[in-house]
Amino acid sequence: MNPCYYACYIVYKVIVYDIIFYPPVYQFLIIPGLITAIIIAIFIIWFERKAAAYVQMRYGPWEIAPKIGGATQLLADLTRYAMQEIITPQTVDTLQYLLAPIVMVVLALLPLEAVPLTSVKPYFPIPSGYSLLVAVAFTTLSPLFITMMGWASNNKFSITGSVRESFMITSYELISVLGLLTAAAMTRSYDLVKIVNLQMSGKWLGLINPIALFVVFIAVLMSTSGFPFEIPESESELVAGPFTEYSGLLYGLNMGGAYIRRWVFSILITLVFLGGWAPYRPTPGVITGYLIPSLIVSLKAVVIMGIMSFLRSVYGRYRLDQALGIAWEILIPLALLAFGIGLAEAYFGII
Amino acid sequence: MPAKVSQKKNPKRNPLGKVFAGNIGALAVGLKYFFDPNRITLLYPHEYIKLNKGYRGFIVLIKEKCISCSSCARICPAAAMRMLSVKVYNEKLKKYMIKKYPVINYNRCIFCGLCVDVCPTEALYHVPYHDIVYENMNDMILSLEDFQKEPENIEFKEGIPVKYYFDERRGLVKTPYMEELEKRNEKEEKNQKVEGEGEKGAS
Repeated sequence: MNPCYYACYIVYKVIVYDIIFYPPVYQFLIIPGLITAIIIAIFIIWFERKAAAYVQMRYGPWEIAPKIGGATQLLADLTRYAMQEIITPQTVDTLQYLLAPIVMVVLALLPLEAVPLTSVKPYFPIPSGYSLLVAVAFTTLSPLFITMMGWASNNKFSITGSVRESFMITSYELISVLGLLTAAAMTRSYDLVKIVNLQMSGKWLGLINPIALFVVFIAVLMSTSGFPFEIPESESELVAGPFTEYSGLLYGLNMGGAYIRRWVFSILITLVFLGGWAPYRPTPGVITGYLIPSLIVSLKAVVIMGIMSFLRSVYGRYRLDQALGIAWEILIPLALLAFGIGLAEAYFGII
Repeated sequence: MPAKVSQKKNPKRNPLGKVFAGNIGALAVGLKYFFDPNRITLLYPHEYIKLNKGYRGFIVLIKEKCISCSSCARICPAAAMRMLSVKVYNEKLKKYMIKKYPVINYNRCIFCGLCVDVCPTEALYHVPYHDIVYENMNDMILSLEDFQKEPENIEFKEGIPVKYYFDERRGLVKTPYMEELEKRNEKEEKNQKVEGEGEKGAS
């Protein structure tokens, strides 16, 4: 055998199997991780603008590429953000000010490390019997840094925004955690692989217990401050909430961070309530066992993201007190009800 | 017999109905427009609204009809129109005479149309468009030659004429104005034919 060919083969094997498909790298950076999340964020922002325009009798982004509906508009915007100067005001707490958005984005991606995307054993990033619990715990980390951003910015708008953010997080994270852990009550397991395998027969937990799915859906919509519910960074009241002092790429990170959080939550919802890689049964091998199931999960998550961003065009904004009222008066009782229903279904053996 | 007054049942009266009817109604309307969009934005340089004949746009002079009565200049509320003295050769008397013609200053004009109304011989008329760009303020004071030409409108050549109308079911609707397009296509075909013949003759 030609030695050069052999060396190339080894390098190819190392790159593909030991770097790209090494589960922690693959899940953090490639398919549900950073690269896919950025592509999805670009697509979803375009879709959101386009859908809102359709509903409100407008055209949306159009002029830059009329044949594909202005889809390259977001690339232009992204380039503009990347080229802009990053200004650090004199009065801010520099270290926290610069670190907070970066840490926020990294921590927002962290739950993907705990989530298994296939039922084949060697492809778990963190093999654990408590993957649902770990993933849900990780999702609650990154909002703390939004609060920190507001504090470090030393600005009235930022502090008001971050206080609102902490209000929203305390109420809506509780709901989403309760709703996601309903699955544990229903299946008597914290293991996401076991939860997905139970849904293989077509009995998706979202169909058996739709109230839990509904509650988690609304909680995610509110806690990631998607567009109609952007109570922390409300543009009409506070300039940009916690992100007022940021500019350039750091501001882009902040805006992307919200979409990345939403993306991670939609992957969790897919795995817990919508059957994960359900119609497909993974078999050993990199492509059939890892690539295809992760693509199926991503596709389902994109559909959830699409529905969430469509709601922007229909609903109006809520005030802070209205949002908190909905959370504590309607959604938490509903979440407890869903938990009770899940327990009852587990007790009577429906699942 | 008088018409019966009947009150519609409002499903939003009780709180549960409020939640369901309000949300589902809003989602249904949103989905309806998402799958069957009714877009009414005017894509301005690519489309333009075809305006009616009576529209008070730019003003054009027909020099042959003008009798130099100068009532247009006198009635102009913004003093945009002035009379210009021009030497004209009179064929009956066989000598040069001084005659007055109106010229307009679009810096001052408010497009009220009084000059067009007052003209006894209908020597002035409006064109049905008003969106023309001048590069500087001096260009907006027209000379007598420019005042006789219809100003050029680029959208008329490139854009699609559009009209709005109220549909019973869909509300305000935008459609292309087909008659105008057909007219323009015929003109273009004629021009192409003329050019083709000219080329043939030349060759």
